Amino acid sequence: MSETEAYKQAWLREKQARLAAEELLEVKARDLYLANQQLMEQNQLLKEQQALMIRNEKLATLGTLSAGVAHEINNPLAFVLSNMDSLKRYTAAYNSLLELNTHWQSQNQLPPALAESLAALIEEQDLEFVAEDIQDLLRDTDEGLIRLRDIVQSLRHFSHGGNSERTLYNLTEGLDSTLKVLQNELKQGINVNCLFEPIPPIHCNPGEMNQVFLNLIMNACQALEQSPEPQIFITTATESGQDREEIVIRIKDNGCGIPQDKLESVFDPFFTTKPVGKGTGMGLSIAYGILNEHGGNIIVNSAEGKGTCFEIRLPVEEPQAD
Amino acid sequence: MKGVIFNILEELVIETAGIVAWNSILEKLELKGIYTAGQSYPDEELFALVGEISTSLNKPAPEIVGHFGEYLFHQLNQRYPEFTTQQTDLRAFLKSVHDVIHVEVRKLYESPNLPTITCHEPDEDTLVMEYRSPRQLCILAEGLVRGAAEYYKTPIEMTHPVCTHKGADHCDLVIRFL
Ligand code: HEM
Ligand SMILES: Nc1ncnc2c1ncn2[C@@H]1O[C@H](COP(=O)(O)OP(=O)(O)OP(=O)(O)O)[C@@H](O)[C@H]1O
Ligand SMILES: [Mg+2]
Repeated sequence: MSETEAYKQAWLREKQARLAAEELLEVKARDLYLANQQLMEQNQLLKEQQALMIRNEKLATLGTLSAGVAHEINNPLAFVLSNMDSLKRYTAAYNSLLELNTHWQSQNQLPPALAESLAALIEEQDLEFVAEDIQDLLRDTDEGLIRLRDIVQSLRHFSHGGNSERTLYNLTEGLDSTLKVLQNELKQGINVNCLFEPIPPIHCNPGEMNQVFLNLIMNACQALEQSPEPQIFITTATESGQDREEIVIRIKDNGCGIPQDKLESVFDPFFTTKPVGKGTGMGLSIAYGILNEHGGNIIVNSAEGKGTCFEIRLPVEEPQAD
Repeated sequence: MKGVIFNILEELVIETAGIVAWNSILEKLELKGIYTAGQSYPDEELFALVGEISTSLNKPAPEIVGHFGEYLFHQLNQRYPEFTTQQTDLRAFLKSVHDVIHVEVRKLYESPNLPTITCHEPDEDTLVMEYRSPRQLCILAEGLVRGAAEYYKTPIEMTHPVCTHKGADHCDLVIRFL
């Protein structure tokens, strides 16, 4: 082989080697791109999980705090409520005294001097008005106290899902019975579409679960008040979650939706956008507390003006040996 | 073995015996001889090349491998000079091979085949490099160490009392600093 021929062959080899190197570079670039994409996805997931953890922690702290507050308020509330009963009886007693006086006065049965000084006293102290107003005051106070009692009860529910008596319960049944309870609310033209795939029964507190459904469906109804074609969709299914089989219940409406900047807060106790007296803002935090107690969770997706979807996830139980 | 090793072997042969010799070695082995630094090629191909070089130059294979090791060191050092600039003396450099240099190699080349090297110093003048590798290229390692000693202008005396080619489970390169 001549020297020239040898160099020519060497040159050809070099050219091939360069092409191979370029190909290798492309493969690497692609691998890097994919790896980067994967990293970014995982990073995003981590961020979401972190946000969720912060939320859970916040709600847990609020739970402990509100349990304490609820307990502290509950005791004085109990004796205030019981004092109210006595007060009502006592004012009735005083009223009868006043009535007796009116009776005697009208029949002129009192010596004139006595009648006059009694009338002056009643006039001076405005006792006629007081007697009337006391009734209003008592009624308002009663109402206020009952609201207070409900709030305290809600707070206790939120903080510890309660004295959980767990029984095997099919949640589809719970949804059905909740819808029955809400018949009145739903009469006003709201179309309810149920798509129930069979789900296995789980050990839970049926009362609490129904409370969750009630709160969510009530919210949906309230969100649908201004909708021209109000609809609620309720679905049940089982899906594979990250590391377990899960029961997934979605309650979706085509109502007013929740603005992006409020989404973070809807599970906070006392967060409400409803007028005073209409909402306490405890509905979703109670639902959250109950589901948490049952090893589940709840998330929300919403588009303002389009609608809202609450998604409940609960673990499917391993079949028990016994 | 990575293409870069083949590239350097090719350079050595062309430098010492000429391009015609390299071409005929490839021809005899029916090899394409196209090697890209970052790509892996079968170890057998390298061993076959060494064998053929040894026949055509009429020199024993270990001598070729040892000589190649020396040459390889200088070429690698030319391509990646930062490793020797980071270490001020031979002893520090040799101790950095496993935990610094070959670690960098892992970042640069995808899944390279590298040996395990552990160092210990039984006394002040001695460094023992324990070499472990399924490829049993201890003679290449010897050459690399000699190349490094040349670079650092440090006189050494190297013995190889324990060797996998003599039935041991690893090799000891005992380096005495004179
Ligand atoms: C005295 C110093 C060194 C010694 C004793 C040494 C030892 C070795 C040995 C024996 C091998 C062959 C593979 C095996 O035995 O399993 C090897 C492979 C290799 N070494 Fe080193 N090495 C040294 C310095 C370096 C330096 C400075 C570089 C430069 C970056 C380097 C880069 C590589 C590369 C790229 C391979 C090939 C890996 C593969 O084929 O997959 N080495 N080394
Ligand atoms: N389906 C929904 N569509 C739109 N907004 C909703 C929906 N569900 C909840 N929200 C928003 O989240 C807030 C909190 O809901 P939550 O049920 O906790 O309290 P509430 O409904 O305001 O009062 P409560 O349930 O205690 O009577 C609501 O005020 C409302 O702004
Ligand atoms: Mg509500």
